Order: sequence, then structure tokens, then C-alpha cells
Amino acid sequence: MGLNYYHILKRVREARKLVIKGTTAAGSGHPGGSFSMAEIMGCAYSKFLHYDPKNPLWQDRDRLVLSKGHASPGLFSNLAVAGYFDKPEMETLRKFGSRLQGHPDFKCPGVEFCGGSLGLGLSFSIGMALAARIDRKTHHIYTIIGDGESDEGQVWEAAMAGSKFKLDNLTVFLDRNFIQQDDYTERVMPLDEELVGDDISEMWKNAARWKVGDKWRAFGWNVIEIDGHRIEQVVKAIHSALQTRGTPSLIVARTIKGKSVEHMEDNPKWHGVAPNPKISPIIELELDCQFLIAPSIIAGDMANLENEVKRASHGRADFIHLDVMDGQFVPNKTFDHEKIKQLRPITQIPFDTHLMINEPVKHVRDYVNAGSDIVTVHAEVCDESSFGEIHDILRSNEIGLGLAINPDTELTSWSEKFIPDLDQLIIMSVIPGKSGQKYIESTHEKTQRISKFLAERNFQGLIEADGGVDLSNVESCFLDGARVFVGGSAIIGQKDVRLTIMEFRKHLMHARRKLLINKAHSLGGTELVTKWIDLHEVGKKKTELLQIAKEAGFT
Amino acid sequence: MTEFADMRTVYGETLIKIGEENPNVVVVGADTTDSLKTKPFGKKFPNRFFNVGIAEGNLVTIAAGLANEGKIPFASTYAAFLPGRCVDQIRNAIAYPTRNGKNGLNVKMVVSHGGLSVGADGGSHQQIEDIAIMRAIPNIKVLIPADAVAVAKLTQLISQLYGPFYMRMTRSKVPIIHSQEQEFQLGKGIVLRDGSDCTIAACGITVQMALDAADALKQEGISCRVIDMFSIKPMDSDLLEKAARETGGIVTCEEHNIMAGFGSAVSEVISEKYPIYMRRIGVRDQFGESARDSEIPLLLEKHGMTSIHISNAVKDIRSKKQ
Repeated sequence: MGLNYYHILKRVREARKLVIKGTTAAGSGHPGGSFSMAEIMGCAYSKFLHYDPKNPLWQDRDRLVLSKGHASPGLFSNLAVAGYFDKPEMETLRKFGSRLQGHPDFKCPGVEFCGGSLGLGLSFSIGMALAARIDRKTHHIYTIIGDGESDEGQVWEAAMAGSKFKLDNLTVFLDRNFIQQDDYTERVMPLDEELVGDDISEMWKNAARWKVGDKWRAFGWNVIEIDGHRIEQVVKAIHSALQTRGTPSLIVARTIKGKSVEHMEDNPKWHGVAPNPKISPIIELELDCQFLIAPSIIAGDMANLENEVKRASHGRADFIHLDVMDGQFVPNKTFDHEKIKQLRPITQIPFDTHLMINEPVKHVRDYVNAGSDIVTVHAEVCDESSFGEIHDILRSNEIGLGLAINPDTELTSWSEKFIPDLDQLIIMSVIPGKSGQKYIESTHEKTQRISKFLAERNFQGLIEADGGVDLSNVESCFLDGARVFVGGSAIIGQKDVRLTIMEFRKHLMHARRKLLINKAHSLGGTELVTKWIDLHEVGKKKTELLQIAKEAGFT
Repeated sequence: MTEFADMRTVYGETLIKIGEENPNVVVVGADTTDSLKTKPFGKKFPNRFFNVGIAEGNLVTIAAGLANEGKIPFASTYAAFLPGRCVDQIRNAIAYPTRNGKNGLNVKMVVSHGGLSVGADGGSHQQIEDIAIMRAIPNIKVLIPADAVAVAKLTQLISQLYGPFYMRMTRSKVPIIHSQEQEFQLGKGIVLRDGSDCTIAACGITVQMALDAADALKQEGISCRVIDMFSIKPMDSDLLEKAARETGGIVTCEEHNIMAGFGSAVSEVISEKYPIYMRRIGVRDQFGESARDSEIPLLLEKHGMTSIHISNAVKDIRSKKQ
């Protein structure tokens, strides 16, 4: 089984948007803590929890207890996406007569615990887990606690009890976002160690300073520490927790409060404030503009691809892009599924397999079994029937479905019916076959055109720019509508992959800011531009944004 | 000779009985399972018995989680700590959650060591605020049995009725008041003596004091009606209204602060339904103190809680009426 990466990614994005819709309509609520746990919730509801929205109290369902109940919009949005109620109901959040109370409540179907008073959810979950054991039920209890919440002594009473009763049917996530209502957690009540200075990101950088995992280990729990925004890490952690016997598991998920919205990220002010209705459309666009970096390892040492995967992984790539060439569809030969199988154990980062081969339908199963998370095939060597078959194979294995087109190809008419199902469309900007070619300039226009075309046809996936993408053109590619960026010689070919990827992200961030400033301007002129920029209080964001606005003539 | 019996022993025995009949009954304790006499249940049903240590918040919240899954948890420890220590957990984890018309979760909080009669442990351990705390929380029902018979019957009753209950027992052995045939219904007081001059409404150990007072007053030609109001919430307002109408005065007795306790609850009913003179016997907004078993009557006397104080209150009302 693949990660179902794109499926989760899309649902996480949709849920985040619903959080914005709900809290904006309510005029209050907690978007920050909803966003820090968004990937955790998304993975749980999209991949692991067994439930039936039509029968919310089905006895054998898995239970998810949101102990940090103030993040209720983050729960409700996932329940809406899961089908417990219609999505527009999110806009009744916190209103009189609504099922969506300020904190999770049984009034809302799918809610397993009436949260709000902090520190209770883990004890409640222990009760649930003990009951399941008495009844010899095999369902699992998932609990999400906060780091601020961990100030509550009862969390530690429960930690002792969970360990004493050896509850291996219980998995707890600690949403470690480092922020509580008053301030950074490490200033209010350190869980790791006291914060010196103002920069919370310092705590992120140095794992030697992380103590909270040790606390739980000392209480006898199986502790797993991850980046809580990395879907592949969350998925792996849950798998591992589910396989653990004789002890409950605690997943320390290091997260960022307000994740995905720049002005909310790491800003304690966004613990419990709703977005201004005028700002919300800009936030929604920002949520649609998340970007991913996919280094292509064939640009490196073909004799030591293992090392190239390690470099990409160390560089914190989002995907590992694997160019499979058969010497027939393209003149070159690279590697096949056997190699991918060998590379798979090196990293958890999703494998973005790009098949430049003839008759992909005959081989796609091999690439599924080799451990791909997304498989992209070329439109030039598919038809409706074979692509349909590929679609079915990939979907049934929880693997992303990608289609690629060469520089001289347009989207074929048979592919139109697959557009809403497509996870990824690769628009090649070089003639495929070898690394190190120059970007074909006309691809900008083509990507813009296709991006618009797809948007009108309910495309939910991402456009991947592949071929000759480098720091000089990545911003333009983003503005064309691409969201995933394959970097061959521009990333893997560089000496320091990590720095290069950071540089790519900086450029992409710059492009996104431009896009959002333009959006603000189109919605509310310079007044809204200023208002939006003013929200960016943490770090140097504001200065940089003002510069962009100035260049655009918006100040 | 008056027969005495220990409430906790009867509680523990009854739990085993209902545990045999109903596999959903579970027991949760907090390092006081020996004292609360729930340990034998754990011996008999080891997989339905959980000792969470000295962690009362955890005790009641784990009980809530068990109840959420269809279990009928009896969570027990001393009154000073439950509800004393965990009002928030009781409110938010037990009383608040409501689904499909079922109000609150099905947790039975049964405590011992209520009131001043705890004795030697001193004021810190003498819970005199629990009625006030528990009856103010929506969905929670409050019971204070007067004797071991009531404990047995009420333990049975609350295991069969849905909803969160709080039941308070007394540390020391108490006299048997009720016959084994006595029926107990939620929200129904039990008239132990009929009378026409005044009513004495009591709960817990003060029921025996009320009976003693009624006996003494009878010698003086004063006829008192004595009611065991074991069901503090819901309260038998019809019976109280009738008593007010027919006897013209009510004295309430409780081993609790007179503020927001049982007497206050009766006043709320009487002032709305049939206002008459009332007197409240109880702790007058002070904390208790240590007293060895033989000295407990002295402690109660210091706080104005004896049959003599009750008699005087009845006489006081009669003088006001005339």
C-alpha cells in the first residue's frame, strides 16, 4: 500500500479551508491549533480510522478523542470532509442553535469526547481503551493532546495509568506546536527546556534540546518523534504505533501553530482569533498555493543513486523524483522498478515515479510493488482504456495518479474525463530523455493555459513543472500555476542540496507573496494590501512583503 | 437495642451482587479500595476493576470514558476528594456529555467519609460542601442514604437507572433505620413518623437525630412528622409541599454546610410552593476539626447538630406560628 499521499494532501487542504470558512463566519475560534494538527487529523481520518458517517456510533469504529478541544474547527472540518455532515454547515460554527459548538460536543455526529476543559481527554481515552479490552474489541483509540495542555497535572496521571494498564489499543499525538495562549510554551511552562531569546525556531533546530519525548519514555510509553506536517512521517508513526504491543504509544508531532498561513505561523496571537472576512479569501488562496520540491536523482551520480536519495532526503525534499526511462519511449535508459525497490528503504519521503516508458499499463504494477507513492505515466503512450486500468491499479493501492505530457503534446481529449481524479499533471518543459537541458520558454504560456483549463474542470491535483527548472525560472513557473517543482541539475547537481532546496523555497515563497499581494489588491486596493501585510508580525516577513508591494506600486 | 451496620461493607457486598447480574458493571478506585470495601469486587472480577492510584481527576474521567462505552462504572473514594478535588472533571467529563436524549454519562460516584462525622482525620477531610457542589451541576442526581439498608437498595437502584449519580456514605457504623422491606424510589422521600405540628426533613446520619428529636418532642405533646429525604436531587417537592401545608413548619437537618446544601434545597421548594417557617440544622459556615470516635457527638454538638438542637428548632417554629 502506498501512502495515499495526494488523497491525504487534498483532504488536509480542504479541511484547512473549512476551518477558515467556519472561524471567519463565527468571528471567533482557534485556527492556529487547528492548523498545527491538520496533517495528523488528515492522516487519521483519510487513512487509518475505521468509521461509518451514516452510523456514527457503530460499535466497532475507531475513536478519535480531541483532548485539546479548542481546536474544534480542526475536528469539525475533518468530520465534514469525512461525510458526517454537509460542508456548508461549517459556517454555523459557534452560532446559536448549531451542532458545531465552540468546543467538541456530542451534538455533532462523529465527536467522541466533549472537550474544552483541558487535561481530560487522555483519561477519558483510557476509560474507552479499558472498555474495549473488557469487551475484547479490536478497535483503536486515538487521542490528540496539546503541549500547552500538558501543563495540566492530570495528563501525567493519565500517562501513568496508560502505562500501568498496558493499553496498546491507545495512540496519543502530542501536537507540539510550542505555543499556548499567553506565549511560547517554553516561556510559560517549558516542556523541553526554557526558551532563551525570542526565536522559537531555535527550539526546532536542536534536537538535543527536546526533552518531552524523554518524559513520556520515562512514563513507560512507546515514544515516536516526528515532523507533524510531513504526511509520510505521520503515516509511518501511526503504522508503527498500531504494531506496538504491551504499551501505549505517544507520537511527539513537532508542528507549527497556524501552519500553511504565513501570518499565522508561529504567532501566539493566532491561538484564538478568527480571520477578518476581508482577509479570508487571501488565506484561502494561500492554502491553494502550497508548493513541493521534488529533486530528480538522475541528475546525480547514476552509479550511486542511493547516495543521491540520501542527499535529497537530508535536503528535506518533499518528493524524490524518479525518472524511469526505457530506451524506447525516450532514447536513454535509466533504471527500473528493481532499483526503486532497492532505494525504498533509504527514506520515508514519497517516491514520485515518472515513467517515461512504452506501454506503462504493462509495468505499472511493478512500480506499485517497488514502493512508489505517485506514479505518472505519459499521455503519449496511453489511451482511455489503458489509463483507466492504470487509474484503477493505482487507486486500489493508495498510490497517486499522475499524467505527463511532452513539450509538443497537449492534453488529449480522452484524458479530460480523468481530470477530477488526477493527482498530478506533469508538464514537461524539456524533451524528455536526459538531464541538464534548458527550459523551453513556451512552456510558461502552455502551463498558464492548461492551469486555467484544469481549474474549470474540477482539477484537485497539482501541476508539476519538470525540465530545466532552476532558481532563475522557478518563480515564473509558480506564477504559471505549477505547484510541484522537479529539480535535476539545479538541485541534485548542486554541491549543497539542502541549501539549494532552501533557496528554491525562498524563491517560491517570494512568488507566492507576490501572488497574494496581487490578490489583496484586486480585492481591496492598497488598503487591503497594507492590512494584510500588517498581519505578518513574526520575523522579517513584513519588511519583505512591503518591498514586494512597493515594487508592484501598491504602497 | 439499636442495631448498627457499616455502610461501606454493605456497599461492597452489593457491588458484587450486581456485578454478578450485570457484566457491564465495573469498579474504579483511587488507592482507597480497601477502605471503600470495593477490593473484593476486584478479587472476583479482576478485569472489571481498576485502581488508578491517588488521582481523583483521573478516577472520575476514566470512569466517564468507561461509561461512554456502555459500562456502568462505580467510582469510589472519600468525599473530601470526590467531588472535592474534581469538580471540573465531574462537570465536563461526566455531567455535560449528552447524546440521544441521555443526559450525562452513566457514572456512579459513590463516596464515603461525608460530613463532620469523619472525626479524627480533621477538618481537611470533613466534606461539608459536596451537596452544594453536586446539586448545582445539571444532570447529576444526589443521594444521601441514612443507613446500610438504604445503601444496599440505592446501590441496586442507581445501577439500574441511567445517568450520573452521586451517593454519599458515612465513615462510621450507623444505626439501622429502615426495614429490609422498605422501598426506595428516586425523588421520593420516606415518611418515617407521621405528625401534625411540624415536619423534620433529614438526610444521612441526621435522620436518626430527627427521630430522636421527634421522640423527645412527643413526650412534650408535640407531634412531628419525620421524613428521610435521601433523594436530595431530584427532591420530593410534592411530599414537602404536603408537609408544609399539613404541619405548617419544617426543620431541615444535614451534615453539611447550611449554605447551598440540603436545607437550602428544601427552602427553594417551600418558598415557591407553600411558604412557611423553616429552620435549618447543619454546619454554620465553619470548618470542622479532629475528634476521636467517642468525641464525635461533642464535635456535632459544637456545630449545633444534635437532636436537642432539632427539638429547639421545632419549638422555635411553633412559637413563631403562634
